[in-house]
Parts: sequence; C-alpha cells; structure tokens
Amino acid sequence: MLELTDITKSFRTGPAETIVLNDLTLHVGEREFCSIMGGSGSGKSTLMNIIGLLDRPTRGQYRIAGEDVLAAPPDKQSALRNRLIGFVFQSFFLLPRLNAWRNAALPLMYRGTPEAEARRQACAMLERVGLADRMEHMPAMLSGGQKQRVAIARALVGQPKVLLADEPTGALDPKVAQEIMDLFLEVNRELGVLVLIITHDPHIAAQCPRQLRLGGGRIAQDLRMAA
Amino acid sequence: MIKQAILEAVGNLLASRQRSLLALIGIMVGAGAVIAMLTVGAIAREETARQFRAMGTDILLIRADSDQGLGNLPLAETEALPAQIRGLSLIAPFMLGGGQVSAEGQSRSTSFLGVTESFAPVARVRLAQGRFISRHDRFEPFAVVGSALAEQLSTPFNRIRVGSNIRVGRYVFTVIGVLEPSLPSPMMPADVNDALMVSIPNGRRIMSTPQLAWGVARAAPDADPDQVARAIGTALEPSMREGRVQVQSARALLAGLASQMRLFTLLLGAVGAIALVLGGVGVMNIMLVSVQERRREIGVRLAIGATRWNIQSLFLTEAAVLSLAGGAFGVLLGLAGAWGFAQMSGWAFVVSATAIPLGAGVSIATGLFFGFYPAVMASRLDPIVALRTE
Ligand SMILES: Nc1ncnc2c1ncn2[C@@H]1O[C@H](COP(=O)(O)OP(=O)(O)O)[C@@H](O)[C@H]1O
Ligand SMILES: [Mg+2]
Repeated sequence: MLELTDITKSFRTGPAETIVLNDLTLHVGEREFCSIMGGSGSGKSTLMNIIGLLDRPTRGQYRIAGEDVLAAPPDKQSALRNRLIGFVFQSFFLLPRLNAWRNAALPLMYRGTPEAEARRQACAMLERVGLADRMEHMPAMLSGGQKQRVAIARALVGQPKVLLADEPTGALDPKVAQEIMDLFLEVNRELGVLVLIITHDPHIAAQCPRQLRLGGGRIAQDLRMAA
Repeated sequence: MIKQAILEAVGNLLASRQRSLLALIGIMVGAGAVIAMLTVGAIAREETARQFRAMGTDILLIRADSDQGLGNLPLAETEALPAQIRGLSLIAPFMLGGGQVSAEGQSRSTSFLGVTESFAPVARVRLAQGRFISRHDRFEPFAVVGSALAEQLSTPFNRIRVGSNIRVGRYVFTVIGVLEPSLPSPMMPADVNDALMVSIPNGRRIMSTPQLAWGVARAAPDADPDQVARAIGTALEPSMREGRVQVQSARALLAGLASQMRLFTLLLGAVGAIALVLGGVGVMNIMLVSVQERRREIGVRLAIGATRWNIQSLFLTEAAVLSLAGGAFGVLLGLAGAWGFAQMSGWAFVVSATAIPLGAGVSIATGLFFGFYPAVMASRLDPIVALRTE
C-alpha cells in the first residue's frame, strides 16, 4: 500500500544542512497496524508528513497503491490527501468555532458532499467512536479523550485507506490513552484501514502487530508480532 | 456549501469582534463618503435643474461692458429690438445697484432694480399684492418689493403691504406691489426676492452708479436662443457709444454649470475613494493579523484535504462579508449625511439611482481587492510550519 524507497529528507538551516531521513526504505501493506518509536528529533514527524503528502522528500520515491504520488500536481495531492489519508494529532487540532459534527464533517465538505449527507455520515462516525450524545457540543465543552475521538471521527469520515496518528495519546492520561488505543485497534480490525501511530509509550507500542523504530535517519528496527 | 462558507465567515468575524468592527468602520466611512458625495451631487444637480425649469431655458441675459467697468444700454433702441429681431419676444433693460432701505425703524441693505414694465413678464415675477411698475410711473415715488425683503422689513404690528412707506436715503417710496416668492434664478445678477424695484428715472436718483447695464430677454418658443443672443449683440453694437454687449443664454450657462458640477462630483468621488482605500488597508491589516492567528487552523484544513483555493476563498469570503456589511452601513450613513445636507440647504432630497449599487459594489470590490493579498498569503502557508505553530 505504502512504498517508500530511498527517501532522504534534509533541512537547510543557515549554512549547515541537517539530514533527518537518510535513504529510508519502508513498505507497509494494506490493513497493517504499525507503531513508530524513536528518540526526540529522530524524524518521526518528518516521516509522517511525507507519508501524509504534507511534505516532500528531498530525494526518493513514494508510491501509494502503485501510484507515483510525488509526481502529482499540488491540487491532485490535496485530493489524494482528502480521499486516502486521515490525520490525528497529539493536541487534537479541532476547529474551536465548529461543533463536534461540523468538525467531523469537514473533510466531506472539501469533497463537495451536500451538507445533509455530510452531517449524516459525520454523525454515524461520531456514533461509531462513542460520541452519540455529543454531536452538537463545541470542542471547548469536551474532555481530552472526547476531543481525540472527534478528531478520529474526522480522520475516518472520508473512509481513507491510511490513518496517520502523531503521538495521539501523548496528551492524555494512561486510562484514556488506552481507550483511544482500543479505538484504533477496533477501526483497524473493522474498517480495514491501515494505521501508523507515532508513540513514546512502550505499552501502546507493545499492542501493535508491527513495531518500527527510527534511528540514524532509517528504519533501525522492524518487529512483527505473531498474531 | 456557499451558505456554510458565509455562516462560517460570519462566525469567525464575530469571534474577533473588535478587530472586525474596526475594519467595518473603515469600509463604512469610505462607502458612506462615496454615497454622500454622489447623493449631494445629485441633489445639487436636481436643484439647478429645478431653477432652470422655473426660469425657462429661453431666457437671455444681456450685459453692457465698457473699459471702466459696466457700460450703458441705449434704452429706446433696446426696447425697440423685439420688433426688429425675429425670435425675440420680450426684452427688459434694467439697472442694478444696492444700499440701505428702512421702514418703521427696520433697516436692511438690499439690491435696487431700476426696471421697466416688461421686467415682470420677462423675469416671470408674479405679484402677491398690488401692481408692478408701469410705463406711466416715471418720477412718482412708487416701489415694488420682493417677498423676502417685505418679510424682513415687516414687524408683527406693521406688515409691509401696498401703501406702506419705505425710505431710501432722502427719498420715501410708497409700496404699490409686493411680489410672490420665486426660486432664485441662476441667470440673474440679483435675487428679485430680496430687491426693491423702482422706475428707471427713480433708479437714477437712488443708485450711486446709475448705469443701465443689464437686460433680460425671452426668445420665442420656436427660436434658437443662442441665435437670438447673437442677433441682439449685433443689433446693439452700432448704437453703443462705447463698450460692448455680452449676451448669455440659459443653455450656455447650463452647459458651464454641468461641467462645473462634473468637476465637483469628481472631486468628491476622489475624497470618497481615498476614504475607501484607507478602509481597504484596514481590512488588509486585519485579515493579515487573522491569517497569522489562524495558522494552525489553516494547517489542519490543508491536512484534511483543503486545496489552496479553499483556503483563499475562506479568507476572501470573510473579506467580502466584512466589506458588504460595511458597505451596507456606509450606504445608510451616506444617505443620512446627504439628507442632513438637503435639510440644511433647504433643497429637495433625491437619491441618485446609481449611488446605492455603486456604493455597495465599490465597497465589496475594495474588500476583495485588499482581502486578496492576505488570502493568498494564507493559501501559501506551508502546512507543516502552520501545524507546528502553537
Ligand atoms: N522545517 C524545518 N526546518 C528545519 N529543521 C527541521 C524542520 N522540521 C524538522 N526539522 C528538524 O528535523 C529533525 C526531526 O524533527 P521531527 O521529525 O519533528 O522529529 P520527531 O517528531 O521525531 O521528534 C529535528 O532535528 C528538527 O529540528
Ligand atoms: Mg514529532
């Protein structure tokens, strides 16, 4: 599903050039569930941004389902991002002035789905993530765990093939973090969506069927658990 | 989708009320200035047109000039002109001066007109009381009073009417007629409402420079006033001992006024435009701050599949909503200002048909023009950088 080959990413800050990813190669198949660990500054977020088409690698090849996505023009990339990829962030990033279902419906609005239909699908997804009674709530009235559920509903509402989560449990206490992790496992199992989650938490990583570790700008470790 | 976008824009603008209000006021003042200017222009145009309608476009004004200043028209030759010139129906030479008049202790300075019988029909003045100066009134101390002057010289116990006495220097005149109020004519060198009219021989007594320098005339309905004006000039020239005759038609004056009015409107429009530009810069400033503050939101929107164009239209919609609201208030403000002007000047309030759509259009255009740069800035944000900002 995701094929990254010889990906290099470097940043030029002043005279020095920092190489963050160095000839990294990674293939992830459909429906897989991977954790990505690694020290702070090891390039986990950078890798995820490249996978999510928010950033371009300095060098290398990247195909999604066989399609060379780096060659696509910007608007095509926006459309691919909208259709194929869902993002979940550490601090939720809900739009504060939209209520829960409008936040969740946002990707559909950018697809031109009529409002009534977008609302129906957003509410169905909020129900699925356990927020049936919070549709009209504004983000400020939700707890951290509930906000992350809205964010997950938003990431999944467009039925993407890939769900990318950058430290999704980092801002939550352990009990809520486990509930969110259970939700990720459930949507992976039931919706068949590929999940990649960046985490610092070994307990979270331990529950993932495939565990990656970044180091030296490459995949330093690639463990597959027996099912 | 469009309804949703507008609702969202309104929500975002309400969320930063103070800033939105500032930009709104900027646009409002700009649009208001444009509207007020255009409406005042329309009011002034309408007023002039009304005066010309009342006066008639067949009126001609004659003035004798000499090297020392005003000249003298030959009375007999001038009065004989309607018989000689085809298309000239009436002519009335008159003298113009001014000074103090008093009645019953009330004293005023006013214009003096030394007139002939034909002045009344040519200048289209109507009598409220009594009669006008006639051919037979020569040195008899008779005077006709304009309506405003009569009002000013009246006291509650002693109104100026036929039979009242008015003193001018050593002379005491008996009022034989009082005029009805009439619209001041833009052609006439003096306002008959505010004038004392006497016979020409009496005029020579009371005026310091008793020159028969002026005349008014009427062209026949089927004649070309400009052609008649030229004919009068040529006919009088040989009989003038010195000096020249100038004849101006209402039509020529109207053309002059129209070009003055255009200049005036242009000037006012420029003032409005400057105000709008200032309002627009306000909008731009506010949109830039808003873009800066909402970087993370922009990043999120880009991450979930918004295109650059989606982001641009997000901010352009806000700019449009802001400037439309500002424009709407501005139109009201401008109309209110123009109405106040009409009240103060006593002119009729009219709304020019173009003012409202123009004001609204111009303010939206300003908003979009100045909102465009911030919107492009927003759409060019790097989503990763935008998402990193806390
Ligand atoms: N836009 C950028 N400009 C310069 N350096 C950057 C930029 N983005 C990331 N980096 C650098 O790349 C390295 C990896 O960053 P990141 O991927 O955020 O690490 P992680 O998520 O693993 O903590 C860091 O050293 C960071 O300073
Ligand atoms: Mg990171």
